[in-house]
Amino acid sequence: MSAASQATAGLTRSNKGLRRWLSARVPMTVSIVITLLVLAPLIWAISTALKSEVEAVAYPPAFWPSQITFENFARVLNGQNFLTELWNSVCYSFGGVFLSILVSAPAAYAAARFDIRGKTALLLLILGSSMIPTVALLVPIFGILEKFGMVNSALAIIVIEAARTAPQNIWFIRSFIEAVPKEIEEAAFIDGATRRQTFFTVVLPLIKPGLAATSILSLITVWNDYLTVAVFAPESSSRTLQVAIVNQVLDSNGISWSYMMAFVLVASAPVVTIFLASQRWFVSGLMAGGVKG
Amino acid sequence: MAQSSPRRASALAWFGPVIALLVIVMIYPTIQLFRVSLSQTEFFDPVAFVGLENFRYVLSDPDFWAEARITAEFVAGSLSLALVFGVLTAVILQSLGGKAAAIFRTILLLPWTLSMTVVGCLWLWLLNPSYGPVRYLLSLAGYDTGLLLGDPDLAIWLIVGASAWWSFPYAMVLVTAALQSIPKELYEAVEIDGGSALAKFRFVTWPHIIPTLGSTALVLCIMYVTLVSLIVVMTGGGPLGETTTFSLAIYKETLNSIDIAPAAVISIIVLIANLVLGIGYSVLSARIKRSK
Repeated sequence: MSAASQATAGLTRSNKGLRRWLSARVPMTVSIVITLLVLAPLIWAISTALKSEVEAVAYPPAFWPSQITFENFARVLNGQNFLTELWNSVCYSFGGVFLSILVSAPAAYAAARFDIRGKTALLLLILGSSMIPTVALLVPIFGILEKFGMVNSALAIIVIEAARTAPQNIWFIRSFIEAVPKEIEEAAFIDGATRRQTFFTVVLPLIKPGLAATSILSLITVWNDYLTVAVFAPESSSRTLQVAIVNQVLDSNGISWSYMMAFVLVASAPVVTIFLASQRWFVSGLMAGGVKG
Repeated sequence: MAQSSPRRASALAWFGPVIALLVIVMIYPTIQLFRVSLSQTEFFDPVAFVGLENFRYVLSDPDFWAEARITAEFVAGSLSLALVFGVLTAVILQSLGGKAAAIFRTILLLPWTLSMTVVGCLWLWLLNPSYGPVRYLLSLAGYDTGLLLGDPDLAIWLIVGASAWWSFPYAMVLVTAALQSIPKELYEAVEIDGGSALAKFRFVTWPHIIPTLGSTALVLCIMYVTLVSLIVVMTGGGPLGETTTFSLAIYKETLNSIDIAPAAVISIIVLIANLVLGIGYSVLSARIKRSK
């Protein structure tokens, strides 16, 4: 073998080694850099929330507080309206999702199990109404609520949120019910159970994990909703944490940024916790075509 | 003995509660919306039928066409950024693989779980023209950032950035699922033929993720068209109305509620846009399911 071809062979070999070295490390490095960039807004929010009010607006800004303080979080939690806003957020989310599941589960069962004329039309109606955006119905719903004196009513908010999340819940619950073998139900029928009894005592217990997953997705949707509450329940005693955030931004007295970031973090903590605890469901929900908005 | 389907009337009863709910909250208001759009209104009440007069009025209003342009800019900008970044992160994490990739994916999904009001606040603070880190970092690089969200030419694109930050994880998750369904043998075949990484992407990855990208794009469009609170927080529609999309205009006019008919007309346009996108999504996702 000539020296030249030996050199070429050596070069390709080291080239291959370099390639392997790169292909092992480049994706990791790039992933870390991208993740840090994506997290930067959240890291900045945490850093700001831990600064004193004065340090938060120092220029040039410090990357990390010179002295960590929790006074902003204390101010948020002791805020005059905080408990009311938190209670409203909890009340609308749980109330809306509960009502939504309550009406969706029987419909999902019928969609999965009954073979009747008119079913397709009903399912199309449900699918169609899931395509009507909240924002397009602000005008007529406000008009209707005003006529019945139901602006600022918690019940109205719960009913609206339930209707908004119902189509998605029906779709998910139906797929869970379809996964339950029919034979299990048939055994119950032989024992003399009615449809209704079978539904409550056999089917629902079997799809509990599915019900939990779809409830969690709806819960996050309602918790994060601003529009419905802001327009239909503008009174200060009906506000949620999301509405409170916007009102503080628009407050003409100016914003305390360290307080604001603490507020935003506190308002997001429940959904982020739920997400981290149940991300597998969350991801499968996304892939099943869960549409927010 | 298997119980057969119950009689039609009793079977429909299972649908009763949800249909009642949807009729009250969605169907009846939609009918009312069309009535309002064809009427002269006093506050929220239709008082006289005027035919298409409101539509003529809205379509001849220059503000309407400005809102149409801003909506288009916002949707197109957010969509391109979210899709590009979604595909990029999905492909990189796929090549990383293993447990580490799963952890990165979870972390990258975080923005998606946040509400749009929260996202708006985070970015409002980042983009603060006096104390914000974006101004500071750019000034280190020698740029004077000016008013940022107060700049009429720039504001909508900054909101586009925030909305892409919030929504790219959705594209990432769906593209990841599509990537994971590609048979490994196809990549090996390209390798045997001596194809580069680029050839693998062009001839294997791309054709497999393009249907997913289509349906993802439609869902994202629906979200961008109807998005309100992010803009409310970041600019409130200003400066000089340069961030007022259709949906933001509806929101503002509903709150002002002086003459509601024009808002109803824009609502109908948004509604129809959504229906078209939604039907497109249903057709496309049914086709993807069938091809699997």
